[in-house]
Amino acid sequence: MKAVYALFPNGQSAQEGVNRLRGAGLADRDITILSSQPMEDFEFGHIDKKNYMWWLACGGALVGMASAYGLTVLTETSWPINVGALPVYAWWPNLIIIFELTLLGAILTTVVTLLITASLPGRGERLYDPAVTHGQILVGVENPASESVAAYETALGAAPGAVVKKI
Amino acid sequence: MSHPTGDRMTQDLLRPLLHTSWRFWALVAFFGAIVLMGLGSVARTMVLGYGLTGIRWPNYWGFYITSFVFWIGISHAGTLISAILRLVNAGWRRPVTRCAEVITAFALMIGALFPIIHLGRPWYALWLAPYPSERLIWPNFRSPLVWDFFAINTYLTGSLLFLILPIIPDFAVVRDHSTGLRHKIYRALALGWRGTPKQWHRLETAMSIMAVAIVPVAVSVHTIVSFDFSMAPVPMWQSTIFGPYFVAGAIFSGIGGLIIAMAVLRKLLHLEAYLHPVHFENLGKLMLVMALLWGYFVFNERLVTYYGNGPSEMAVFWRTQRETFAPLYYTMVLCNFVLPLIILGIKKFRTITGCVIASFGVVIGMWLERFLIIAPSLGHKYLPYSYGIYRPTGIEIMVASSTFAAMCLLYVLFAKVVPIISIWEMKAGEHPSPDLMPQALEEHPLGELHL
Amino acid sequence: MPKWGMAVDLDTCTGCGACVTACHAENNISTVGPEQAARGRAKHWLRVERYWEGEFPDVRLKFRPVMCQQCDAAPCEPVCPTYASHHTEEGLNAQVYNRCIGTRYCANACPYNTRFFDFFNPAWDKPLQLQLNPDVSLREVGVMEKCTFCVQRIKATQIQAAAESREIKDGDIQTACAQSCPSKALVFGDLSDPESHVSRLARSGRGSKLLEDLGTFPNVNYLNRQVEA
Repeated sequence: MKAVYALFPNGQSAQEGVNRLRGAGLADRDITILSSQPMEDFEFGHIDKKNYMWWLACGGALVGMASAYGLTVLTETSWPINVGALPVYAWWPNLIIIFELTLLGAILTTVVTLLITASLPGRGERLYDPAVTHGQILVGVENPASESVAAYETALGAAPGAVVKKI
Repeated sequence: MSHPTGDRMTQDLLRPLLHTSWRFWALVAFFGAIVLMGLGSVARTMVLGYGLTGIRWPNYWGFYITSFVFWIGISHAGTLISAILRLVNAGWRRPVTRCAEVITAFALMIGALFPIIHLGRPWYALWLAPYPSERLIWPNFRSPLVWDFFAINTYLTGSLLFLILPIIPDFAVVRDHSTGLRHKIYRALALGWRGTPKQWHRLETAMSIMAVAIVPVAVSVHTIVSFDFSMAPVPMWQSTIFGPYFVAGAIFSGIGGLIIAMAVLRKLLHLEAYLHPVHFENLGKLMLVMALLWGYFVFNERLVTYYGNGPSEMAVFWRTQRETFAPLYYTMVLCNFVLPLIILGIKKFRTITGCVIASFGVVIGMWLERFLIIAPSLGHKYLPYSYGIYRPTGIEIMVASSTFAAMCLLYVLFAKVVPIISIWEMKAGEHPSPDLMPQALEEHPLGELHL
Repeated sequence: MPKWGMAVDLDTCTGCGACVTACHAENNISTVGPEQAARGRAKHWLRVERYWEGEFPDVRLKFRPVMCQQCDAAPCEPVCPTYASHHTEEGLNAQVYNRCIGTRYCANACPYNTRFFDFFNPAWDKPLQLQLNPDVSLREVGVMEKCTFCVQRIKATQIQAAAESREIKDGDIQTACAQSCPSKALVFGDLSDPESHVSRLARSGRGSKLLEDLGTFPNVNYLNRQVEA
């Protein structure tokens, strides 16, 4: 069996479904929850929130800053050319280049981090039901142990408005 | 603020993608023809020589640089609406955020073409990029044009990503509502988006980080574009106020462009239920503030010049206030200051129609402002023997007009393939009743990480 | 290391324009035709500016030959994105045609308006193309050009003198304009040599620089007209 899940019409019933699955002994990361919008107003919308994205973005900014500094200092001192009596390594204009590449580093790092941590592009067959984008919230278990399937079905079915499915 | 919800909203916002009328093809043909004529003019100049334009000694910059600065200015719409309003949690931004980001992306693309088109030898434009060339030379990092290259590319990359990332969940919506080839294409575009809480949370965090990063980039981009002028010892260009003046003008013209785009979309795509008069009113109020700010900067710049009484500066000053350029100058003041203050300052006039009229005025006025910075100063520098008058030729007028057609064309094509109002953001803005509080997280084991 | 400069005597300049013609001939500067010249496309690397002074019948003409001032702090140099405009060790502002991509920022930054853009590929009516100077490259459409203090003549003399193991004396190198001036109003030489003719003229009380207050540090000294008794 690939998955057992239920479609809920709103956040409250989805929250009940999640709580019942937890009662059936599942850890949070084993419960699959799919919605067509971020459900920040419900507790289940906050699962697996901890991340280091801001730190990684700062790291990317530092990498950008270092590359820009390296680019300017290495190229300007290796090929020193006099323009308008400005110094060979002109601080003020190089700060502009350094600023831009710092922010570009932060932006690109954030995008790469997002793609990796959100598992985009998605690989392989994962549980999905097009009803999600029609407004339903999917709560279920992927690859459940065959002896627990009945328990999950009962747990999911007990929440109001649930439509239980198995694939 | 009430709008249709649930499936009704999804149907409304997907209708432009799933149903095409003859009007779409008519618009594409019309704008496409003008764009092709513009591209043809550029090609003609490249083949037959730059002399086909109106550029001359000593006016070496004209309509192309005016268009460049103008379009980079328009591109600040998205940053203001999307990033700043996102950072201050203004809920009314939700229907307009994607319209604004689209304007930014396309205006930047159009504006970024001009540093290439206006070159004498555009086929060597690659030399602006820092790469280890066989000529053993790198770009001159002290030149404002190289700063332009870095700043505009950073801003373009940031804006495109800022636009594309939140579209991914909406591609998933289109994927699930379509069949056949369309389904296959959007399935690929949606990158396998499912909508787990982790994915939503990572997406929103990424948008917050990018919003924080893109605001300084936007400020720096137009400051650097202003440095194209203020780094040259030209009368009335060497002004320390140019940085903030240009950024304020950019945001000003950006809001104007956004209001026009929103009004057109509302009419053509029947989005009256989603884009309410209050959205236009709020943007109108922002535009009023920017009009006052613009007036403040112009007053500052002119008063300081007047008191400074430098002979070359005063000669250029009077050129715009009294002499050759006075009609254009007063038209600009009317369009940028008088008209917006009257229409947007009086609540009765601050309707959708009123805001659109004020926005057209702002767009025209800001284009004139860019032109009036370039032409009077360059034609009247220090040595009287080398004064000159700039007259644009048909080629430049064609190219400058075709940029507006290009913007409209790109917008029409975009609205056909992507929902122009962000479906998931609209849904996220609807909040359920507040007596459902999140429960404590610590009791629940997280479990193993699956990738 | 020599530092090249010029002195222009505004008293002896008659405004004849021989210098302008000589410059065109020496540096392969094409004429652009009357229509293009009226549209401001003429490329006179050296031009004679003519100003009227006073009211009729006490009108006087003033002539001022203006060429690239080879500024020490040239505003055209930092703004060029490809280092096409840069400063040489001998004090010249060099224009490298092969690096120029034609942004024309240098021309906007030049307060003297002595930089010119090639709007079309140059053309000479036959048989005038036989008169072209082989020491000077032809510029294609889209690049900037300007007075170089006849750098080809400087280099040729330096190479010749090195080959003959002799020093270069003041007066050995003459720019085309200085060579052709009938009243010897234009003088070219080494400003770092205090005994050269140009240095002595620069030190004379009549010397002044053009637009000096802009901070460009130009290397062309204009000698004012003697005041009539």
